[in-house]
Amino acid sequence: MRVRSGDILLMAGFSGLMLTLYLAFNWAPSVNINAFQSPEAQRIFYWHVPAAWAAFIAFAVLFLGSALWFFKRSPLGWKLHVAGSEAGLACGLMAVWSGCVWGAAEWGTPWDWQDYRLNTFGLLTLLALFLVLGRQSQPDGVESRDTFSTFGLYGFVLVPITYIATRIWVIRHPGPVIAGDEDSSISGDMALVLMIGALSFTILIIGHIMTSIEITKFEQRIDRLQKELDGE
Amino acid sequence: MADPILELDKVTVRRGMGIVLQDFSLQIKSGECIILHGKNGAGKSTIIETAARLLPMESGAVFHHGSLVCDGQGRRLNPKKSFGLTLQSNCLVASQTVEQHLTNVMDLCAKSIDLKPILSAFNIANRRNDKIAHLSGGQQRKVAVIAGLIPAMIEQQPRLVVLDEPDSGLDDSAIKVLVQTIHELRNIGHCFMIATHDSRLFECGTSLNDLRSEKTQEVSNDARWEAEPESKSPTFLKTKIGWKYNSSTLVSVQRNWLAALLVMGGLLSIVDPLTLSDETVILMGFTLAPAFTLGLVGDAVFKILNEQRSIDWWRAQYNQVPNSYVESFISGLILTTISSQIFIQSVDYRIIIIGGLIALTTTACVRFLQLSTIRLARSNAVFIRLLTPILILPWGIIVDYCAKL
Repeated sequence: MRVRSGDILLMAGFSGLMLTLYLAFNWAPSVNINAFQSPEAQRIFYWHVPAAWAAFIAFAVLFLGSALWFFKRSPLGWKLHVAGSEAGLACGLMAVWSGCVWGAAEWGTPWDWQDYRLNTFGLLTLLALFLVLGRQSQPDGVESRDTFSTFGLYGFVLVPITYIATRIWVIRHPGPVIAGDEDSSISGDMALVLMIGALSFTILIIGHIMTSIEITKFEQRIDRLQKELDGE
Repeated sequence: MADPILELDKVTVRRGMGIVLQDFSLQIKSGECIILHGKNGAGKSTIIETAARLLPMESGAVFHHGSLVCDGQGRRLNPKKSFGLTLQSNCLVASQTVEQHLTNVMDLCAKSIDLKPILSAFNIANRRNDKIAHLSGGQQRKVAVIAGLIPAMIEQQPRLVVLDEPDSGLDDSAIKVLVQTIHELRNIGHCFMIATHDSRLFECGTSLNDLRSEKTQEVSNDARWEAEPESKSPTFLKTKIGWKYNSSTLVSVQRNWLAALLVMGGLLSIVDPLTLSDETVILMGFTLAPAFTLGLVGDAVFKILNEQRSIDWWRAQYNQVPNSYVESFISGLILTTISSQIFIQSVDYRIIIIGGLIALTTTACVRFLQLSTIRLARSNAVFIRLLTPILILPWGIIVDYCAKL
């Protein structure tokens, strides 16, 4: 069996995630118990932040792919669109789910419908879900590719809004821990676990994107062969 | 030499993953009738739908009466003059009567004629006041064909008429009437583009085009169409037609009102508003929830138009199709008045107007999302409503604002 580079990256990313979980629960220092309602739940942050980081990378890939398809009719662009939406959905759901668990423990509510960051990030994840489910509901063609890549392009407008939301409209969601102000800095050990998590997620989604591109290529080949059999 | 009424200039169109038309050009002038008769899948319907502005192009441009109506850059401009259109699907609204439907078409042309002669010729005069849903398939096709011919029937100046397989489902006598009517209309200067496999319609054509070559032919019939149209100047046409569609089906009552009342009832079943007198934000949320729900269900007229794809017919004629904005606003006002009485035991005109506006803007947003996927092969199957939760945030902000009033 031929092992592809995408598979290797997927396995490496997955191993890194396991290491991140181990370190987060067993090695990372505890936070000040007076600073949080539920200090132990804060360890979710080592999963939540890297997942959100990876989701943003996936959404950037989605945007790039959408633009390449929409403006250049690039087949690679469509493959990136497919891979970016799938990776964005997976990482977005992980970030939203872990955030809800932490929110329930810390705020007493899993979701705040009036928090800008939660809502814009939630919408990005819903957009990825729409793109994945919607694509499966339609025959592949230029009509569906154009429509879904338009949504991919519009959706990317939410990425900078989501990123700056915690700086401008701080409601419930904590401020940024990466590239934030002086108050947001975290201790060395915490930063190390966070970096391992972010790196693992990044490797994982790069592996996923490479594998997804391969799968899309196979699907298109099967479709082409099917049409040849139909005599089209 | 006369200017063309319809011009397709180096049009390239993709459908599915293939290119159906590549740098295709065609001109139709006053008094001409082009019959497209290529084999299945050759691109006849693609040409018809491109000429009717329904398909986006990779490149090229389409002109009606010398004015650009759409091009490969994505521009899509309303035609300055109405044109006749019959698509492969009938594009009818089942709850309308035959007369109501044809009157709507005449309203679009801002003129009217006596419908009796043409309905009699097609042998459906006795079904004039029947709902389209009660007609047979062939009779429905006759109504769709007549609707396509009306813009030419009521205009003295040359008009474009585009018919996609008009013969489908018609009996022999109806085909004869159709052929004769096309002759008469063409002889007074109107031009036609017809896609068909039926050789009986070939005699109408001044040229026969199988999409590879074109053959011109002489047409001997010189009968002329005669009618006495009257001018009328309808205003707020699309809103009025939307209102008519809605009132004839009561779809907004079935869908939007029912959902809003269920939400109101559900909220009342779990909480007694009198016990929440200090919780102004929660009570205001309950008060404005029915109007929001009404909007989230979507535009009732969009639902009606989507049933037999009559939305395509409207999109070809105008960039903006009929809507139910007025009904949504009024429904929002009424529902918020009721919920104000129930939840906050008072009626504040500002809250009621905000309720109406919430219903209106939510309906418009949902409709925008639905329209953006209309081009898809299975637009009803796409999960576009997954994006509607974004509307909760602005609704929550408005609730907060209203609680402070």
